[in-house]
Amino acid sequence: MFVEVLWLWAGLAAYAIATYYAFRSVAQYRDAATGMTSEIVSHSGEKRVLFFMMAGVVLLTICMIVRWLRIDHGPFVDLFELLISQLWSLGLIYAVSYWRFPLLRPTAVIVLPMLWIPGLWVLTLEVSSIPNPPTYFNDWKWAHVGFGKFFLAFCLIGTGLAGVIFARMHPYFARSFQFMPTDKVLDNYAWRFMLLALVFESLMLIAGAVWAQDAWGRYWAWDALETSAFLNWLLLGAAIHARFTYNISVRTGAILIVLVFVFAFITYFGIPFYSGAAHKGVI
Amino acid sequence: MVKNNVFYSLGSPRLAMVGMAALAIGAVLSYGNPDTVSIWVLILPLLFLAVNLLMAILTNPRIYKRHGLLLFHVGLLSIVILSAIGRLTHFEADVEMVRDTVFDSTEVLRAKAGIWHDGTLAEVQFQQGHYTVDYSPGLVRGKTKSYITVFDPSGVATQKIVGDDTPLVLEGYRFYTSFNKGFAPILTWQPADGGEPLTGAIPMPSYPLFEYKQDNQWAPPDSEQIDFWLRLDTGLTEDEAWTLDGRHAQGILVVKSGDQRVELRPGESTKLPGGVLVYEQLTTWLGYKIFYDPTLFWLFIASVLTVVGMTAHFWRKITLDIQDQVHYKQKKMRIQSAVPGSRERA
Repeated sequence: MFVEVLWLWAGLAAYAIATYYAFRSVAQYRDAATGMTSEIVSHSGEKRVLFFMMAGVVLLTICMIVRWLRIDHGPFVDLFELLISQLWSLGLIYAVSYWRFPLLRPTAVIVLPMLWIPGLWVLTLEVSSIPNPPTYFNDWKWAHVGFGKFFLAFCLIGTGLAGVIFARMHPYFARSFQFMPTDKVLDNYAWRFMLLALVFESLMLIAGAVWAQDAWGRYWAWDALETSAFLNWLLLGAAIHARFTYNISVRTGAILIVLVFVFAFITYFGIPFYSGAAHKGVI
Repeated sequence: MVKNNVFYSLGSPRLAMVGMAALAIGAVLSYGNPDTVSIWVLILPLLFLAVNLLMAILTNPRIYKRHGLLLFHVGLLSIVILSAIGRLTHFEADVEMVRDTVFDSTEVLRAKAGIWHDGTLAEVQFQQGHYTVDYSPGLVRGKTKSYITVFDPSGVATQKIVGDDTPLVLEGYRFYTSFNKGFAPILTWQPADGGEPLTGAIPMPSYPLFEYKQDNQWAPPDSEQIDFWLRLDTGLTEDEAWTLDGRHAQGILVVKSGDQRVELRPGESTKLPGGVLVYEQLTTWLGYKIFYDPTLFWLFIASVLTVVGMTAHFWRKITLDIQDQVHYKQKKMRIQSAVPGSRERA
């Protein structure tokens, strides 16, 4: 067994503990709101969530460094390392947002379980390593990948807020999230993150086009990932257009946010299923 | 700016949504660049969106009165226009360069040019030198280094190394090394009737992709076809890292003409029906993809300005409102104080 797998397991274990405390923290608020507990409602649960999320990020960082040193390139080529990289960046950006914006904290019960999709997936994969293709030494790759990570993370945060709006439609969950601002305020926050997502997706597409021009002699070729990313950009653009131009309801807005995220998720994690490598045929 | 109901309708957000939906359909149909799908599935929605954008910019005060939003929409329109100009003026082709030869624009292959293309490919001058390609164990291709000599108009030569994501850019034409490369024996044909000798290279199939199939044919003028097979010694080892370097390769040329079969080493010759064939030396060839689009730089600028405009417009919405957070904290405080005994314990 490669050493990086142990660090991966450790990182995922930390995320699992963070998930447990996230649910416990929200349950505590629910019980407090209904008078079912006399325990002090404090921030300690949230602090534990943050601590274990950051611990997971640190452990996944070590996992990637160990792997990097072993195979002599970063996590850019095969699905195993792409999933670890996404778990790391989504965890890091969400943890920083969680720390910076207290309003987001209850969304951890929605966001962290979503991280378990790539988290469980990566455990089913064989530890492989593909040499870095010659076109992957280009500096624009870093910008492309970096912007893409922010795009997906902001979509994830927006979806976490949209998830709270949906959850509050059920009386049981409504109590869990009743201490959060109104749906209108959550909708406002969620769309702010979607605006950031559009900015970063646009930057991702531009950096990717410059990289593609340098690497493969064309800036756009309608490969699987390019087509999917462009459709995602159109969908996000249309959703923002609809949200800010028409008086759509909060729930319709939440549905649009989830749709955008699902499409982004498929673009990131579905296309590698389909094409085997991030940009098949051009690596 | 412009007050006209028709223009305003043409620039309506609803039509923008229709155009975006049509473009999405066009993008789906264009996946993989299928030959069966017309380019018009993209051109029509883009034309529609360009008109919509232009009308929206001219008639919608929510756009033209907001600098960020205006820059964003003008940027989008510029991208559409520049992309169109790019396609109309673009040029794409492949070329295979034999070592020590000078680029000749008449030898490009599979050329595709936009109807407005009026380039200066014929003015491009460079000489192909040797090249190296690194391979990891398992014959996984690594970096390519191609050594080029470029001549300026006064004839001064400059050495350059290009390869992979570092193209050779001359007169706006970008030459990208491709995975297509191999060996080429240089032969001289001396006709038996005392005619002018012919010297040229016979490119063999791509190497090491077709390592097992290094063969080709050639028919000298007024003579029978000659079959060639090249037996190479390049030091190729699949299990270890290896560098393809034509300077260190050796090849025996097997020549077959009619019933005659002969093996030649560089410098050797053989007499065949119709003339004498001389195997001068073994050399290499390297494939390049040629790309020309004069709008590339401006497309990049327009794209960046579009994002700048978008960010400037969104900034006010994105920056967090402190009041919302206060609201959140107040609610939490209320819950805490509602729990019996919480204050005492705290």
